[in-house]
Amino acid sequence: MRRFADYNPVAVAVYSLCAAGVCMFTMDPVILGISLVGALLSLGVTGQMRRWEMHLYTAALLAVMVLVNPLVSHRGQTVLFVMNHNPVTLEALIYGAAAGGMIVTVMYWFRSFTAVMTSDKLLYIFGSLSPKLALLLSMALRYVPLFGHQAHQVSRSQQALGLYKEDNLIDRMRGGMRVFSVMVTWTLENGIITADSMTARGYGTGRRTRFAIFRWTRGDVLLLAATLLLTALTVICLSGRDVRYYPAFRLPPVTARAMAGFVSYGLLTWLPAFITGKEALKWHCLRSGI
Amino acid sequence: MALLAVRNLTFTYPGCTGPALQGVNLTVEKGEFLAVCGPTGCGKSTLLRLLKRELAPLGERSGEILFDGMPQDALTDRESAARIGYVMQKPEHQLVTDKVWHELAFGLENLGLPQPVIARRVAEMAAYFGMESWFDREVSTLSGGQKQLLNLAAVMVMQPELLILDEPTAQLDPIAASEFIATVHKINRELGLTVILTEHRLEEVIPACDHLLVLHRGRVLDCGAPRAVVGRMADQPELLPFLPAAAQLYHAIGAQGACPLDVREGRVLIEKCGRSGLSLPAEAPLDEKGPPALRLREVYFRYGRNDPDVLRGLSLCVREGEICCVLGGNGSGKSTTLSVAAGLNRAYAGKAEVFGKPIRSYRNQSLYRNCLTLLPQDVQSVFLCNTVREELAECGDAENMLPFDFGPLMDKHPYDLSGGEQQLVALAKVLATKPRLLLLDEPTKGVDAAAKQRLIGVLRALKAQGVTLLIVTHDVEFAAACADRCCLMFRGQIVSEGTPRSFFGENSFYTTAVSRMSRGLLPGPVTVADATALLRWEGEA
Repeated sequence: MRRFADYNPVAVAVYSLCAAGVCMFTMDPVILGISLVGALLSLGVTGQMRRWEMHLYTAALLAVMVLVNPLVSHRGQTVLFVMNHNPVTLEALIYGAAAGGMIVTVMYWFRSFTAVMTSDKLLYIFGSLSPKLALLLSMALRYVPLFGHQAHQVSRSQQALGLYKEDNLIDRMRGGMRVFSVMVTWTLENGIITADSMTARGYGTGRRTRFAIFRWTRGDVLLLAATLLLTALTVICLSGRDVRYYPAFRLPPVTARAMAGFVSYGLLTWLPAFITGKEALKWHCLRSGI
Repeated sequence: MALLAVRNLTFTYPGCTGPALQGVNLTVEKGEFLAVCGPTGCGKSTLLRLLKRELAPLGERSGEILFDGMPQDALTDRESAARIGYVMQKPEHQLVTDKVWHELAFGLENLGLPQPVIARRVAEMAAYFGMESWFDREVSTLSGGQKQLLNLAAVMVMQPELLILDEPTAQLDPIAASEFIATVHKINRELGLTVILTEHRLEEVIPACDHLLVLHRGRVLDCGAPRAVVGRMADQPELLPFLPAAAQLYHAIGAQGACPLDVREGRVLIEKCGRSGLSLPAEAPLDEKGPPALRLREVYFRYGRNDPDVLRGLSLCVREGEICCVLGGNGSGKSTTLSVAAGLNRAYAGKAEVFGKPIRSYRNQSLYRNCLTLLPQDVQSVFLCNTVREELAECGDAENMLPFDFGPLMDKHPYDLSGGEQQLVALAKVLATKPRLLLLDEPTKGVDAAAKQRLIGVLRALKAQGVTLLIVTHDVEFAAACADRCCLMFRGQIVSEGTPRSFFGENSFYTTAVSRMSRGLLPGPVTVADATALLRWEGEA
């Protein structure tokens, strides 16, 4: 079963950027609504839905945005009440909700994006720019945890050797500094071995190529094509649609063109859910056929 | 035709008075497996690095090195990189990238091969080495043995004609080490690949190699078929500890005829020998009354809330003034036991007492003052200074506790010392806190046979000064030679304990080579010295 996360990283990255990008540059409540539902669906698809503390945090952020905007912005004609000689307006409240909704939705998009994009996928994307960059990133990804691990080991060894004379902060910091300084030596010393191992295997003898375990299949190309097509449609159909918040909130009438834009954006944002649903259904049918 | 020929090679490091290699001549035929042995500092590594042009050290060099009939310098960079593969000692630092598959592809990427070719070779190699199940893993999650196997595979994927391995098993435990050597042997046999390997543990290598070259002080002492070379070593007392136990016994009793190389041939030798009529001096019985230096009672420990238990009801008592060795396989919880005993990890159930006081009651780091210290497995993590002199200056007069002359090492960087020297300097540093209980984690790792003998002497001297030692080790020969009490650890518990002779005498697999050789033939020897005392060579019957 091919999950959404298993598609080619470039296709997935382009998809995520398009889905989040459209949302980022609009304040249209309809688009934001579609996008929020889509983002939540794709969170569900990537298995992030049950992280309740994340939802709590996002809800708190939304509440702050909704409440703070009317306190700082006093534009709008519908005054709800007056606080400290300042009017609190309905329009500012709605605008705060829309802006907050936009930020929260984009955050959700990036949540599902980071859940899918493991380090090797990011490496694959950035490595397309240059094989050298790919190697550098890969070495960094290996080295950083290695350094942390060794620093922890040294610190423990030194603790058992009585480096930390007493249980106080200053003494700990002093010990920590010595551990850090020896870690620099350790890095340089063992870096020589890595360098030897690299030259021994022909690093720097000529132009490098790049090997990756990700391929382009028909499905990946289809996903990429669908993403670009739907995004273009959305942008064309919705350009010029002007939602006004001040002085009075006004939604422009839903024309056929705008409707087409909503539908294409809806299709775009719900793609991961469609793919997963289709695969699950196929799997189910296959199993019942066995 | 010879794949590699070395003619009259002499090499001097800059700033050194004497040459590191002197007049070395060497021929390696295609498909040959050559093992190079000799004590630390004999020039093994220098020789091997000179054979791989990219790694050749700077210095004054004369003589010539011919690869496939051509002078070494006539090879292009790419040819030299691809045709000669080189694997070094430390598994961890030879790895360049973060993923197993990327590491395998690294050399081929450097050669600029197209993606489909890389994909095929990487797949082939992963299948040949049985790496499919960890192909996608991060290299940091692999065990030492797996890392070294990956280093080998990452070199093999470039399809070299000559494979050079510089002490590839020094940092591995015995089981991973023998698996590694078996893999190299398999490559040699199945692919006809030419192999040059240095090693100071010869038990595994000698049955696999075609020729054995002995280097001593930069000169070739002997070269030839392993049996003949080992048989001729009788007059080289400093090289004897490097030999397999059967060969050591052969030389110790002054036997004649073909030299035995493994346990099976050793048994034949023992059957042929007469008995000396002596019996082994009685071992001191286990001390069960003395005050305990360390007592663990029903200790349970796990690293994370949802992880499995590493220690499952471990009980261990080490009496004051004894050397206790804990043996056991990988993952049996040996190192964890030490970290719990040293108070670095806290057991979630059970009691841990040091000198009769619970570990928790040692406040304010007082556990580590004049009481207990731990020498970790990675001795590099002990050093904080730039020279041995500074390192020892921190210890005060502790170096005097060790019967060892640090003079020649004083101005070197601790990382530049050999494994055995590092161990001794680290030991000196550890002793600075004047511990009454010393915990050692794998002290023989990366230490050659001669240094191991020296280490045993040092540990005995410490015992004589009243220090209690708890040693965790894989090395059965070492435990047999120095322990008062041996314990076998399995799945987080001690399953048996006893004096070395009774302990190893009762084990049939997890025991010393001499014990396996003499099973049913002699009453309970565990070391070469024991067996030598019991036997007498009466000439060929």
